[in-house]
Amino acid sequence: MVLSQKIHEAFKGTVERMTGPRTVSAFKEKGVLSIAEFIIAGDNLVSKCPTWSWESGEPSKRKSYLPNDKQYLITRNVPCLRRAASVEEDYEAAGGEVLIDNEDNDGWLATHGKPKETNSDDEENFPSMETLEITKTNTIQSISSYFGGEEEEDIPDMLEYEDPDNLIETDPATLQSTYIVAQEPNDDNILRTRTYDVSITYDKYYQTPRVWLTGYDESRMLLRPELVLEDVSQDHARKTVTIEDHPHLPGKHASVHPCRHGAVMKKIIDVLMARGVEPEVDKYLFLFLKFVASVIPTIEYDYTMDFDLGSSSH
Amino acid sequence: SSSSTTSTLILQFAPLQSLVDEGFWRRLSSLKLDTLGIDQSPINITGFYAPCSHAQVSNHLTLLAESLPPEVGEQSSDGTIVRGNRNRCPVPGILYNTNTLESFHALDKQSLLKAEAKKIWEDIHSGKAEEDSSVLLRFLLISFADLKKWSFHYWFAFPALVLDPAATLIDIRPASHCFSLEEGESLSAACNEWRNSSLTADVPFFLISITNSCATIRPLRDWKTCQGDDKKLLFGFYDPCHLPNNPGWPLRNFLALISSRWNLEKVRFLCYREKHGLADLGFSLVGEALIPVPQGWNDPEFIPNAVGWEVNRGKKIPRCITLANSMDPTRLAIAAA
Repeated sequence: MVLSQKIHEAFKGTVERMTGPRTVSAFKEKGVLSIAEFIIAGDNLVSKCPTWSWESGEPSKRKSYLPNDKQYLITRNVPCLRRAASVEEDYEAAGGEVLIDNEDNDGWLATHGKPKETNSDDEENFPSMETLEITKTNTIQSISSYFGGEEEEDIPDMLEYEDPDNLIETDPATLQSTYIVAQEPNDDNILRTRTYDVSITYDKYYQTPRVWLTGYDESRMLLRPELVLEDVSQDHARKTVTIEDHPHLPGKHASVHPCRHGAVMKKIIDVLMARGVEPEVDKYLFLFLKFVASVIPTIEYDYTMDFDLGSSSH
Repeated sequence: SSSSTTSTLILQFAPLQSLVDEGFWRRLSSLKLDTLGIDQSPINITGFYAPCSHAQVSNHLTLLAESLPPEVGEQSSDGTIVRGNRNRCPVPGILYNTNTLESFHALDKQSLLKAEAKKIWEDIHSGKAEEDSSVLLRFLLISFADLKKWSFHYWFAFPALVLDPAATLIDIRPASHCFSLEEGESLSAACNEWRNSSLTADVPFFLISITNSCATIRPLRDWKTCQGDDKKLLFGFYDPCHLPNNPGWPLRNFLALISSRWNLEKVRFLCYREKHGLADLGFSLVGEALIPVPQGWNDPEFIPNAVGWEVNRGKKIPRCITLANSMDPTRLAIAAA
């Protein structure tokens, strides 16, 4: 919280110059989006990547400036097979990471060589050999992570209360969980398979989208937001990724702070324009999600880049 | 069937898993404090699920804040019917929330499960399941909300009617291996169309007929018109499971319907799965199974056995989640100070 406040202060001057009502698009000039443009870009994301949906969220938290049925975007049950720290070791070994903005030592990682873009079918079905190697050498433990701090105390209760005749289910047609374990190449790997609900809200102050993460552990119990930081690139954990109230959902969630989003998007747009590509505003979220992937490299949400990002001026 | 090997393989289904969003427990707490009081009557709730869309993890039966009736004063002007979309197909469920931990443990879980299984069985026989196939996925949740500690004890059951004798597996393989290129393309297109239409996107069970390499998808109510001599017929369902050799749980009650209502003994089914939100026949499975005529199913009084209590980390115990850090006003006040 304190760090996020500091960051907020540091960039406030820039941000204030960018705020104010807009009648024309500041997309290319500032890398920001108007509310109407956010809806257009969101509609396009939902249509091209159908694992994303619009949702209306808590009725009491609805923003009047957004349509009731298009308050925010969400994709659920996104796998996260390993902790971001182990992937960073990969990058370093490969010498593969590139900063696109390092002037103030707070740059965003560029998205070169992300493992998620080199999926082959085999790799998607099972973690690769590479993963297994990391599993063996990496000592990061998946902390017993759900909110059930009192569960251990509760287990004796359960045994005390459980009627042994109450729940006998000997059913040969039920696949036992040991079978599922046998499908996985490594027990440890199961502990690492978290899932995430990734949501995108519109931040009116910064005039950019904002990404939120809700994590679940391997038994699909809610992860404490602090543990979500294990799945954030370590350059960003606690610095640009903070834990705050979600604008449409209850509770605290990890979020990529949007204070630099406009500036980073502007840089990406400039690079595209220098290549003769005229970026179109409805593609904003694809570019944005590509950049967010550098912050949360192991959370494998969908965004496709298989089509033109804009109209080429060539 | 004379070609089958000496050892028969029992068709095994991967159990459904539950996932509960924090919003569900928050709304339940508000309901309990503001509306329900000590009333322990069961509450109709709505769960959500979708076909598996990531090769590494199964999808879950998810509970969100919207799974519960709206809080007082939150009835929005648009009527707030729980609406589905392609990523959240609504499934009917029932919640038994008790007032004490003792009464939570004292619930007769076997009878509660049987009661839900009976509803599924009746919906199959009345034809209701053909009109609204989501009733085949009915689930049950028992809970105790400890609002002093902000902890929630709970246990899910996904009732499945037991086929006795069990269905046996003839073959199961990626769907892409079971069709010609033309058939596969037509089937993918038909599935994507089904998933993209707001009328059918959240309908989890369907019929697929393939005639002259052209695939058509129809709702279960069209069963009679779907039959013909030169047609390949498959029973499709949204499969939440990601495993390469097993269908997911929803197929169980579907097979019960197919066997008891349509009297089929040999079926081909499609475990429909997606990649990037689109039909993926390499990930989807086609299976062929034999369903021996189950014992006693012709008896009008008969109700099949049911199974389906969720296992918690390999054990038959309830789950518990503590949300004191985010819900307890005292802790929040300290954190904010």
